[in-house]
Amino acid sequence: MAEMSRERLYAIVRAAYEERDPMPDDLVARMQQAVAAAEAEEGLALELELMTLVERSTDLAGARGGASYTLRFAYDDVDLLLRVAADGEHSRVDGWVVPPEPMTVRAVWTVEGAGTSATAVSDTGRFELTDLPLGLVRLRLEPQDGSRAPFATPTFEI
Amino acid sequence: MSTVTSHQSPSQAEGPGAVWAQATRAFDRWLSGDPAGLPELVDVMTPVLWHVVRAYGLPREQAEDVVQTTWLALVRRSSAILDSTAVGGWLTMTARREAWRTARGAGRTLPTDDEDIAVHLPRQRSAEADAVDREGARRIWAAVDQLPERCRRLLRVVAFENRPDYASLAVDLGMPVGSIGPTRGRCLAKLRVALLANGDL
Repeated sequence: MAEMSRERLYAIVRAAYEERDPMPDDLVARMQQAVAAAEAEEGLALELELMTLVERSTDLAGARGGASYTLRFAYDDVDLLLRVAADGEHSRVDGWVVPPEPMTVRAVWTVEGAGTSATAVSDTGRFELTDLPLGLVRLRLEPQDGSRAPFATPTFEI
Repeated sequence: MSTVTSHQSPSQAEGPGAVWAQATRAFDRWLSGDPAGLPELVDVMTPVLWHVVRAYGLPREQAEDVVQTTWLALVRRSSAILDSTAVGGWLTMTARREAWRTARGAGRTLPTDDEDIAVHLPRQRSAEADAVDREGARRIWAAVDQLPERCRRLLRVVAFENRPDYASLAVDLGMPVGSIGPTRGRCLAKLRVALLANGDL
């Protein structure tokens, strides 16, 4: 069956169910209230706590005209060490969380619509984010221990 | 045909691909610290979740509970979603899992019939000019209704999802993974024949 006609059949099925069995009118509003409450409960509704920049150094030995530098951030008892390397259009960030703990690290671009990119921290506290577009970014750290709210680095440039 | 599409919300009319992209943008906004991103994500994806869950034959009230459970899971486990472009798929898969669990737990033999759908028919619409439209819509409904139950369920889920993964569909629909593709093909063919017979294609 041609893809075109398959898509058309799906559109017919969607339209038919939307007509005949629509969701309750107030369902979206009630779900929005429910997530807002859950967000508050999880500490996600608050402004993100920012880590403090403790140290910054430039590594002059960057290869092939690329540049790299290291950053160190601290928050509570968490230390975050980053090595940022940029080469042409792309870059990578190698990170080390001390003490190691299960968490997700998410690169968030400050440009609207630029998206996010995330990775999980290994048992040893290491992580890497590769092929990141150049620009202003911050890292959002999301502990898997649900009782701890996410926190973030201040914005830095790749 | 045009009769039915005119009742779709704009986002649904563009198909799941556009809805999924909207969901990703909203999720990214939320992750970037914009609190408005989350209610927007709920706005975009709740209709999809509703139809996916209702395909399991759950009564409306239970279907609402499943949709809500899915949203709470998103808030509590958002850090598990590493690829934000996958947020739409994560939501629908979570909803299917929960719908399947709930339907089984309730001792329902999946799937149940659509008895409580009929209660909401026809939707109240004002103008008499709608009569022709309604006739067209009724014929399309008749074509969908003629399908075997498993076809209706599979097509409803697949139509609202964006390229669902067969392995997870198989588990949640209680079908062997190898039969999803062929069954879907047969169901689409049946629907096509029914619509052709009615003169709607």
